[in-house]
Amino acid sequence: MSRAPDWIPIASRTCAALLGGYVFSWGFTAVVVALNVAAGGDYWEGLTLAYLLAFLVYVVVFLWAFADARLLRVWLILAGGGAAMIGIAWFITPALPALS
Amino acid sequence: MFASFRLSMTWVHTWFGLTLGYVLMACFFFGALSVFDREIDRWAIPESRFDPQPMPSFDEVLLPRFLAIEPDKESYKEAQKEVIGTLPPLASLRPSEFGAYTTHRDPVLGMYSSFDVPNKPRDPKLDHVHVYGDVTIDPRNGAPIPKDRYAIGSNFFYPLHFSLHFYWLDLGYWIVGLAALVMLVALISGVVIHRKIFREFFTFRSRKQIQRSALDLHNLTGVVALPFHFFFAFTGLVIFAGIYLPVTETLFHDTVEAYEKIEAEKSPLPHDAAGVAASLAPVDPMVEEAQRRWAARGMAGEVGYLTVTHYGDANGYVSVYRSGTDRVSGTGEGVHFRATDGAVLLEDPPATAVSGINNWLAGLHLQQFRHWTLRWLYVLGGLAGCACIATGFLFFVEKRKRQHAKSGSSGARWVDALAVAAVTGMLIATAAMLVGNRLLPETLPTRADWEQRIFWFAWLAALIHAAWRSAPVQSAMTSPAWREQCWALVVLCIAAPVLNWITTGDHLLRTLSEGYWPVAGFDLALLLTAATAFYAARRLRDTQRLVHSTTGQDQSEPAHA
Repeated sequence: MSRAPDWIPIASRTCAALLGGYVFSWGFTAVVVALNVAAGGDYWEGLTLAYLLAFLVYVVVFLWAFADARLLRVWLILAGGGAAMIGIAWFITPALPALS
Repeated sequence: MFASFRLSMTWVHTWFGLTLGYVLMACFFFGALSVFDREIDRWAIPESRFDPQPMPSFDEVLLPRFLAIEPDKESYKEAQKEVIGTLPPLASLRPSEFGAYTTHRDPVLGMYSSFDVPNKPRDPKLDHVHVYGDVTIDPRNGAPIPKDRYAIGSNFFYPLHFSLHFYWLDLGYWIVGLAALVMLVALISGVVIHRKIFREFFTFRSRKQIQRSALDLHNLTGVVALPFHFFFAFTGLVIFAGIYLPVTETLFHDTVEAYEKIEAEKSPLPHDAAGVAASLAPVDPMVEEAQRRWAARGMAGEVGYLTVTHYGDANGYVSVYRSGTDRVSGTGEGVHFRATDGAVLLEDPPATAVSGINNWLAGLHLQQFRHWTLRWLYVLGGLAGCACIATGFLFFVEKRKRQHAKSGSSGARWVDALAVAAVTGMLIATAAMLVGNRLLPETLPTRADWEQRIFWFAWLAALIHAAWRSAPVQSAMTSPAWREQCWALVVLCIAAPVLNWITTGDHLLRTLSEGYWPVAGFDLALLLTAATAFYAARRLRDTQRLVHSTTGQDQSEPAHA
């Protein structure tokens, strides 16, 4: 075994993978659903598609959070990217064509 | 922080696997038992030991039973918490919805009814609050199975594998979901760690030291069933995705509400009751019509699920769904009839591509279809998952215990104690519950609660025993708890079939000669478990003797090791 990593970076990485990864997957789901409805698709159909992909996305970003050397970048992409996707989904939702 | 990609994956695999492995043990083991949940129900409820039955006549058998269902007291209490004002008296509630579901493995039929309440919900996001009631009947004559007979397979083991029976804030679901995610993570990181995966796959050093054989078995069970492990963890997450990623109730709440209003207007099925009383036309001809329509589409089949919505109202309708016995994607092809005259309102359109894939994945996980070979492969896959996780624990302990013994750390000791509780302790709890099911008096009030208490207390006792006996691990030896709990398991797993014989007369010679596999198979599985536990206990004793006889040698070894 290699030397045990320091406590704080490893805790931060674990949080990034778990919570950052969760926010990212949440945002991914939201944006897929919103874009699908905006494109005239069925809400439930888009939701099912998003769910089928969201957990694969979560697993990949979870592993990446530990593999990438730059922790700050991991946090920025996961939490920032997740929040941005939720923002986009929220922004396009009121204008959904199916509801007009 | 990590010197290489592989070391980062090793860290993730070790520590996430260790912390959530205990949960995964329960998911895989009780998931494996759930494959035969209905057969375990037959074992636990002797009154229900007869052949599977088709959906009986609605008009003759089901309707009088539906109308006799009383609102469940617990459900009434729950509903009271969720509404504004006091609920009307329990006895005055009227049913508004009925449902009955059966599969090719069900002798008895589960039926439920939902009751309307006039009170407004506290949560403005909810439309209605309902009170529920249910009954299980013998479909041959409509006689109800007594309420206190506990379907241990489908009402205890099955929900345990996805909820841990921990319903507060849905926390059990969340813990299992996290464990499933970690399973996927552990599978991928495991493949990365073991680069020479194919060579290792064919390596098994059973007679070498425990650390080596544990690792070999860990790799073997992980790799041989890798697609199985991945599939079940993944589809488990997708099935409960609505809980884990609740976008519909939050971000899209208003959108979906508006969307559903439009859909409801377009749909021929009335969303709300009309408030005008109306009678229900005979339902059996509607069932015949549904079957005729399935046959016309080249998919003749049995009824799997039948519901009545807005019962007794002018807007009422009856939905008849085809059972999924002969295909992967569960029940479907609903045909919906107007309740007042039996006119067809709607035939479900075929599933779209995405829903089709989703139904197929969920259906393959839930396995309600008929395929006994695959059913057994599921059990083997689930047990391989357990073996993979358990050997992971053993490898963790074996790798560290000498080092921890020297440094005075107790880490390996506690991991080992928890592993004992997760492996033999879990089996003891299961077997103890079955013994309790046969020993508790038939007339005991809240008998099902006692069966559950036996399960949890037996598990807790096993954990305490494992912790209490774990001190030798601190000196790099094997915990005697493994062996002692194996002996307890031998006793319990022999006692269960013997008690089944004494209390019901169904001994193995009879069930085998009659070919009654639900009970014969489960008795045999218990005896096989007893034999395995016996073998393990003997092997553990022999190993211990070997260690004792070579202790002198061992002590001299560290000098040049």
